[in-house]
Amino acid sequence: MRIIKDGKMAVGSAVRVLKSGGLVIYPTETLYGIGVDATNPKAIKKLTEYKDRPLGKPYSVAVADQKMAEEYVELNSVAKNLYREFLPGPLTVISKGKHKLAKGVESEDGTLGIRIPDYVLTIEIIKKLGKPITATSANASYKKRPYTVTDILNNISGKQRKLIDLIIDAGDLPHNEPSTVIDTTLDDPVTLRQGEIKLANKNELLSRSEENTQNSAKEIWQKYEQHSGKRAIIFALQGEMGTGKTIFTKGLARAMGITELVTSPTFTLENEYITGKEKLFHFDAWRLEKSEELRNLGFKNLIKDKSVVSVEWAEKVSDTIHEFDDEAIIIWVKIEFGKRQNERRIAWGVTQ
Amino acid sequence: MKILSIDTSCDETAAAVTEGTKVLSNVIWSQASAHAKFGGVMPSLAKRMHEERIGWVIEKAIKNAGLKIESLDAIAVTVGPGLSIALGVGVDEAKKLAIKYGKKLIAVNHLEGHILSPLANSKNPASDITCPALGLVVSGGNTLLIKINKIGSYEVLAQTTDDALGEALDKGARVLGLGYPGGAILEKFARGGNLKAYKLPIPIVGQEERKMFTYSGLKTAFLRLVEYEKPLTKEKIIDLASCFQDVAFTHLIRITSFVILDSKFHFHSLFTGGGVSANLELRKRLRKLGKNTEIKVLFPYSKRLTGDNAAMIGVAAYFKALRGEFIEAGKIDRNPSAKITD
Repeated sequence: MRIIKDGKMAVGSAVRVLKSGGLVIYPTETLYGIGVDATNPKAIKKLTEYKDRPLGKPYSVAVADQKMAEEYVELNSVAKNLYREFLPGPLTVISKGKHKLAKGVESEDGTLGIRIPDYVLTIEIIKKLGKPITATSANASYKKRPYTVTDILNNISGKQRKLIDLIIDAGDLPHNEPSTVIDTTLDDPVTLRQGEIKLANKNELLSRSEENTQNSAKEIWQKYEQHSGKRAIIFALQGEMGTGKTIFTKGLARAMGITELVTSPTFTLENEYITGKEKLFHFDAWRLEKSEELRNLGFKNLIKDKSVVSVEWAEKVSDTIHEFDDEAIIIWVKIEFGKRQNERRIAWGVTQ
Repeated sequence: MKILSIDTSCDETAAAVTEGTKVLSNVIWSQASAHAKFGGVMPSLAKRMHEERIGWVIEKAIKNAGLKIESLDAIAVTVGPGLSIALGVGVDEAKKLAIKYGKKLIAVNHLEGHILSPLANSKNPASDITCPALGLVVSGGNTLLIKINKIGSYEVLAQTTDDALGEALDKGARVLGLGYPGGAILEKFARGGNLKAYKLPIPIVGQEERKMFTYSGLKTAFLRLVEYEKPLTKEKIIDLASCFQDVAFTHLIRITSFVILDSKFHFHSLFTGGGVSANLELRKRLRKLGKNTEIKVLFPYSKRLTGDNAAMIGVAAYFKALRGEFIEAGKIDRNPSAKITD
């Protein structure tokens, strides 16, 4: 292990070490990071040994500029906006990876976190290397945040020390918070399959208030209530954020005689409401990345049990919902903003 | 009493070892960054992910505490509320370990963990909690104000009727094109903005007697405002983030304040927990509220205790153990829609 001072000389030394698969501790505008060549599987293995953390936990990487980032990830419009306004800076942006890095860098879902450190020396190193380096903090997992080289050395074992090849010492870094991680992959355009949904009938309503929206749900429920207990009934709700999908579900619950409070399941993914014999299962697919994930939430059993189910962001999981076209009554409900502030257009129909 | 605790209620896989209210270790395996706690990224195949990590997380928690599993007195686990399949992983693991090592088992409510999280590492927890007290949980999944009659006995005073506060902040960030979850970055930007730049409606202002939290109307108003202000510049984003966070917090404080003043009880303290309680601006406002109403406001000692974690489950479990509330391994089961009043 060698320690050198922050300065022009450090660039060449760091690049040499990185090229030969070594571990370099480098300064950033937030913490000391630990870098290895992110395309080198052996180097990544060495880093995982140093960090003492489980396999499967992804590493974010540092790049020199947006151009380099685009070699390794697909940037959608949200990501591009973040790069333009906030990078370089203390922000790690997660995008869909192009699978060009060593195994274990991208997440299991193939996403990759990228940052551009606001620190000239580090950018110089990456530029000269011509490849991304890992951007994890230099502490071993679950130890003190490293703002000085001493913070690092005092908290690691002798074995870990031996794994470090080079430390670039820039003294006591300003005690900034670690970088903030933003996932932009959930904003990828949803594959809308509206064209494939053949509705036996199509109805349209205009809602002028939350109360109206709740009553629409009641009207629709009353048309299909007779099938309750005989077949599963799925309300597949589509509509942008803020159109009132949770409000609709509140109306549905009320119509079913459920008195429990209905709230947004965005965070928990699934809510269950029970009043007496009546049961309603309330899903939110917004955070699901793949359609199959709905199945992992026990969706199939609910259909088998002839349950009543409401699914928000149904367009994200329409494939999986369609699998139950024969078993369940599926009511597709699309809510859109109307012309006036509180107006919503509600279109609905059942699968043929 | 040394307790190993496990929490797999949603995105995080967490295990901790506590002794009384002292935290000996607190390990959290998070897919998202440790700093984007109150949104979290949904791991694909949540159950499998928890299953893969749980052994490592538990082992690490015991190792970090410098102990062996044999020397522990009990095993505690979150049974709800949370995502059913995720909860199941923690419950099964706790059950398995309890049987294998002959340990007592404690079933804990996740929300009680958040409420009691300020007691972790507190020097004199007994005197910290003169009842009745208030509990406030502000997280990605919950916004809940409760009356603590005594530890273990709670009443709901107000709760969200639609989105949770953390969820609203995350969604607000998304509207600004900051990805999801973005509550943490929203906080960062909200430090520098002009609060008078935009006017957003405070939810149910003037109707505080309804004693509820609601964020869906604010979310929709914000969506329209941002659409109107497009294209967004960095300066606009900062001002919009500031105004949105300001109104979201103003609503929380107004309702909490109304409930305090409306009550016939004098509350001695306010226990605040959950991911959003790490937000420094919110802490400042709650402290000010506490000063005005002569209520001592308590927060978890570390940011690691605000988001989902198992150390808080250990604290709640300790009080259950004192009351002798153990459960047989054959009887423990997950309860996805568990209530704090159960």
